[in-house]
Amino acid sequence: MKKIALVLLVFLLMSYSTGLAGEIGSQLAKESIVEKIQKTKVIRVGMSTFVPWAMKDKQGRLVGFEIDVARKLAEDMGVAVEFVPTAWSGIIPALMTGKFDVIIGGMGITPERNLKVNFTMPYDYSGMSMVAHRQKAKGFSTLADFNKKEVDIAVRMGTTAEQAARKHMPQASLRLFENESQALQELNLGRVHAVVSSAPMPAFHALKYPDKLFVPLEENFTKEPIGFAIQKGDYDALNYFNNWIINAKAQGFLKEKKAYWFESRKWEGLVK
Amino acid sequence: MDLAVVIAVAAAVVFFFLRAVRVLDYQWEWEVIPGYFLFRDPATGRLQPNMLLLGFVTTIKLSVWSMVLGFVLGTLSGIMSAKGGFLSRFISRFYVETVRNIPSLVLVILFYYFVSSQFLDALGLDIWLRSQSDTLRGMVSFFGADSGQINAFVSAAVALGIYEGAYISEIVRGGINSIPAGQWEAASSIGLSRSKTFRLVVLPQAFRRAAFPMAGQFISTIKDSAIVSVISVQELTFQGMELMAATFLTFEIWITITLLYFILTFSLSRSISFFEKKMAIRQ
Repeated sequence: MKKIALVLLVFLLMSYSTGLAGEIGSQLAKESIVEKIQKTKVIRVGMSTFVPWAMKDKQGRLVGFEIDVARKLAEDMGVAVEFVPTAWSGIIPALMTGKFDVIIGGMGITPERNLKVNFTMPYDYSGMSMVAHRQKAKGFSTLADFNKKEVDIAVRMGTTAEQAARKHMPQASLRLFENESQALQELNLGRVHAVVSSAPMPAFHALKYPDKLFVPLEENFTKEPIGFAIQKGDYDALNYFNNWIINAKAQGFLKEKKAYWFESRKWEGLVK
Repeated sequence: MDLAVVIAVAAAVVFFFLRAVRVLDYQWEWEVIPGYFLFRDPATGRLQPNMLLLGFVTTIKLSVWSMVLGFVLGTLSGIMSAKGGFLSRFISRFYVETVRNIPSLVLVILFYYFVSSQFLDALGLDIWLRSQSDTLRGMVSFFGADSGQINAFVSAAVALGIYEGAYISEIVRGGINSIPAGQWEAASSIGLSRSKTFRLVVLPQAFRRAAFPMAGQFISTIKDSAIVSVISVQELTFQGMELMAATFLTFEIWITITLLYFILTFSLSRSISFFEKKMAIRQ
């Protein structure tokens, strides 16, 4: 009897504490993160390593397109920036539980994600591209070639690449990996036919191993808007970030950074 | 005979590696790895620790903190379990059985997203730390983590401490129960009270017996600490995975990480067995 009572008590405590988590979540949203950032003098940015959006250089400093965007944002707000590298599969729960203020990590705006977080207007567009194995995917040149039961495709778990592969190649079997490097390793070993990922990474990877890999599709097969993600219900912050993006676009800042990180390879020496 | 076995094993290992290398058809780039331990800062010309070394140090800090916490929790729970009344025995069993029967990965994630979101984040440890002097921040960063990482670090250390504590609890309980009843009877016959007997006679002997299993548990803690990479604590495994994501040097980095863990745990286990022998001689 005593035992049952104790077990019940523990369950009650647990359910109470999860309820409390929800309450705290809604309280946090009432005070805009813009206010909080001004008060604490620091903006905490959630991100994950994605070449060339965000990565560590040889000196262990973060570099990349998103890093430049976040640094400029912090500079314009007059605060310091603190990056919180987070595993991609857990990045939305981490935002919802307030581990950082905003995700600036090349996150594609999707309806599913939008149910959990709020997105700003897009500050960049990316698209899905593919890199394939020369022997395994010999002669493949359209999506239909890959949309077959015997074709294996590796993607990073929880990304829009996973969704795009499911949508455009529903017949193919998917292999999910926690990191891009693992998916690419699988491709290099010839265990999968192709890797789907945001451009320009597939093209860069094909350039690195030209005798083994190739880019089967000439153009990206999706176009995705990329936005900052924040906790739901913070309209003040949405307004602030949206207007910041309009400004950064008008000043040509985003275009200049995009040209540097996505259309040139000048940054390669920084990383390796 | 021994020589033949050694040669056979060596040949098998070499064959395995040659085959692995051929199947992998991999471009090895070992020369860049040392740069991820230490690099020369172009601005000041001084050597600076890089990601892998920082991750290695974080792993050690994390293991030490969680072991300290696990020791305190485990000792308390072990004593409660061996000598407590019904309620304390029940609490201790509840703790040990719950923790031992859920995967450590699940415990770490639950703790980070649910428990620490309410208590640690509400405490505002990181905000407090940011407003402190540079000396204090440097000290906290030296013993733990800097302000951006402190919440995740504390959460990871506590979750790991709770996890290891459950195992230490069993070690301590075993140690206490292994003290023969004759010790209790002898102590009582010279007029010691039960609590004094426990503190002065039983506990010191129990700890001596528990010391080496506990040291073994510490080695386990180091290995278990790799799982906190899922909550983005920047320890060795996380740093390695970040590095792999940026450089695509999958095998070089995994092999380096494996060696680093091995060096740490092997040197510890050697020194423990050295002390074990010394203690055995002294007794």
